[in-house]
Amino acid sequence: MVLCFMFTWPCVSFYLGWTAVATWKWIANDDNCGICRMPFDGCCPDCKLPGDDCPLVWGQCSHCFHIHCIVKWLNSQQINQLCPMCRQEWKFKE
Amino acid sequence: MPLSKAPEPQLHDQRKSEENNHHKKRRFSGSNQVPPSHHTPASKKSRQDDSSPEMTDSQKRANFSALTSPSNGLNKHASQLVTNKPGTTKKLVIKNFKEKPKLPENYQQQTWLMLKEAVEAIHKKCSIKSSLEELYKAVENMCSHKMSATLYENLKTVCEDHVRDNIHQFLGETMDSGQFLKLMDTCWQAHCEQMIMIRSIFLFLDRTYVLQNSTIASIWDMGLELFRVYIISNTLVQTRTVDGLLMLIERERNGEAVDRLLLKSLLRMLSDLQIYQEAFEVKFLAATDRLYCAEGQKLMHEREVPEYLSHVDKRLNEETERLYHYLDQSTRKSLVTCVEKNLLEHHLTAILQKGLDMLLEQNRIQDLTLMYQLFSRVKDGLKELYVACASYIKKSGKMIVINPDNDPDKDRDMVQSLLDFKDRIDNIVAVCFAKNEKFVNAVKEAFETFINQRQNKPAEFIAKYVDSKLRAGNKEATEEELERLLDKIMVLFRFIHGKDVFEAFYKKDLAKRLLVGKSASVDAEKSMLSKLKQECGGGFTSKLEGMFKDMELSKDIMLAFRQHTSNLDVPGSIDLNVNILTMGYWPTYTPMEVHLPTEMVKYQEIFTKFYLGKHSGRKLQWQSTLGHCVLRATFAGGDKELQVSLFQTLCLLMFNEGHVFSFEEIKQATAIEDGELKRTLQSLACGRARVLIKSPKSKDVDAGDKFKFNNEFKHKLFRIKINQIQMKETQEENVSTTERVFQDRQYQVDAAIVRIMKTRKLLSHNLLITELYNQLKFPVKPSDLKKRIESLIDRDYMMRDKDNPNQYHYVA
Ligand SMILES: [Zn+2]
Ligand SMILES: [Zn+2]
Ligand SMILES: [Zn+2]
Repeated sequence: MVLCFMFTWPCVSFYLGWTAVATWKWIANDDNCGICRMPFDGCCPDCKLPGDDCPLVWGQCSHCFHIHCIVKWLNSQQINQLCPMCRQEWKFKE
Repeated sequence: MPLSKAPEPQLHDQRKSEENNHHKKRRFSGSNQVPPSHHTPASKKSRQDDSSPEMTDSQKRANFSALTSPSNGLNKHASQLVTNKPGTTKKLVIKNFKEKPKLPENYQQQTWLMLKEAVEAIHKKCSIKSSLEELYKAVENMCSHKMSATLYENLKTVCEDHVRDNIHQFLGETMDSGQFLKLMDTCWQAHCEQMIMIRSIFLFLDRTYVLQNSTIASIWDMGLELFRVYIISNTLVQTRTVDGLLMLIERERNGEAVDRLLLKSLLRMLSDLQIYQEAFEVKFLAATDRLYCAEGQKLMHEREVPEYLSHVDKRLNEETERLYHYLDQSTRKSLVTCVEKNLLEHHLTAILQKGLDMLLEQNRIQDLTLMYQLFSRVKDGLKELYVACASYIKKSGKMIVINPDNDPDKDRDMVQSLLDFKDRIDNIVAVCFAKNEKFVNAVKEAFETFINQRQNKPAEFIAKYVDSKLRAGNKEATEEELERLLDKIMVLFRFIHGKDVFEAFYKKDLAKRLLVGKSASVDAEKSMLSKLKQECGGGFTSKLEGMFKDMELSKDIMLAFRQHTSNLDVPGSIDLNVNILTMGYWPTYTPMEVHLPTEMVKYQEIFTKFYLGKHSGRKLQWQSTLGHCVLRATFAGGDKELQVSLFQTLCLLMFNEGHVFSFEEIKQATAIEDGELKRTLQSLACGRARVLIKSPKSKDVDAGDKFKFNNEFKHKLFRIKINQIQMKETQEENVSTTERVFQDRQYQVDAAIVRIMKTRKLLSHNLLITELYNQLKFPVKPSDLKKRIESLIDRDYMMRDKDNPNQYHYVA
């Protein structure tokens, strides 16, 4: 289909190509990670690059962290695996 | 028969070859006038030994005779070379004695008479009655019959009488200095010739008696001693000789041609008589010192530096010539030092102050080379030179960098000027300063100093300069030239302290190149990236690399999306291409909500759904400011393909629905923000390709302006790019980029403080500040650090010690 509005003269333009730009970021309930205090737009202290290399994970309590941060935290907890923010039992969402 | 031809060639040759054997390592006289036996090792040795000036005459003489007495000295020297046992030579000679024949009663008397006659004939320069063979035999016989001592004494007396008589010719008052010197030379030459001849007759005596008695001087040395005592030690004669020599040299220094052979011969005479240093050199050096001290002061005042330097060079060459032609080599060091001291060392600072800046400014390669060569001769010369060069570089560089009037042209040319300046200085260091490491470092240090005297801007301009070279459309350079240019830029970049400012602007421009303008060459981009990585480490470039990675990933996503949409009912034939950027890598963009045509909105929604389906937990934000389109437009003169920004597209599409629109109508329809819309319409109606007609006509767009589609639009090209405006940096953009750098620095300071406090728990203010300066890689003022500490205390990251406000505790 040609995207031209032919009802007026002169016919002006129709699209041949459209290059769009979109940025993505994490959907988080806070600006910063509750464990490392770094912004979610950035990465955890152990990583160099944000994004795919240092993803976020969500708990069923709806809190989210850098995956590297929460894994480290959980490993350091001997007995109960609790969310460091709300102290509910930590369970990964899905 | 003339005496000079008298000696039998055979014998003469024998002596010569013998001496050559012993003298191979001696100074080569190179002159026929001076007999080779002049320079016995013994006399040379004594000259070295009595070099201390305070030595008295008698001491010296005693010393001299002690050294020369083992006769000849030649044999002694030789024996020392062969064996260190002093007795060996004696034994060898004794073995040569023949059996003594019996002699007549008055033999001694008669034989001596014959010999005396011969010696006197030599002195009088007339022919000898007896044959040389007779004379040799006579000497040998007398020696063999223990008459050596008497013979030696007699010979000495005859010679003494002769030499003593010679003094009279020098005491006449009428002679001028030139005549006097010539006369002295003639007398000296004659003395030498005569002594050679006498020695050849008395060779046997020299080889036996003299050799065996360490207190007896060889015949040659005896002759020298007589000449010294009776001729040259005469105060009047010595003064006239030395003053005459000094005057000749002075005349030569004033540019006259003088008899160098005469100078050479007489100076050799003084050397051989072992009074060169005491009688001549001291006075000569004093005269030299006076001359050049005055000349240095006078010419420094009168002449420009290049002329002065070439004069100094000329003087040094002349003195070296003098050393080569007639001065004794022992004078070399003191003479050269004297010239260097008076003409250079005393004037180093003045020369540099008076002329260096001008020479550097005018790129006077030859003069600078000479300056370096001359300065390298004197103590601290090179140090003063490179310090002065560094200060010139700082001064001139500062002029390039600092821009008090904020002249935009000057700022635009800054980097090119810096590159040219660096090229010029590098060339001078390489060509004139022999790539001296001290100079190389001084240059580096100077560049680093001045380039950082203006904060942030040099870094920004370097980044922009790189952008201008890496942008598509920059056809001025080949790949290799571009590569070389990037290397040079990296040198400048290395000097910059606030590299984060560079990074921010570089990143912003790179983003534009990747998203809008297209880069000139992927290879050049990658090459620049690897240079930056090499210089600053992976941390510096990881985000820039991330940007390239996003571009690659976007291509993959678009491939998948096209496959996905091939089965769907999507709006039209628009070829959608989406670049998906990871927020953390790219510059921060302010999202702008605009009204898109329904088709476009639909298309966006399809893509968003597709993308989020693959990447959960994410949010997509469309960046309308960065979008661009290719449109087909039909004008009266034919179809054109327009490459335009998304905002330009939105404006142009309106003209499918009407002929004339006001600024306000377009604004309402598109919802583009005022400033942005003005710029957009300006590019369409007031730029080079005017596809819209604005009324009233003017360069700027104002509220109330009306716009009409330009049906008569003509352009020689089919494809027309009208989106340049997007590549240009706006004032706001510049400010926000700089501000973001500062925000980021603040954030980095905060992070560093927390990191340090977390490990140290308790820390004094000063120690914390020191640690921070070690960790932070950009310039910060201590007062700014203090503010950040206060802010962290307010936010309960740390607290002051209750008793000591200069101590901080970490709050977990
Ligand atoms: Zn974290
Ligand atoms: Zn991480
Ligand atoms: Zn929770």
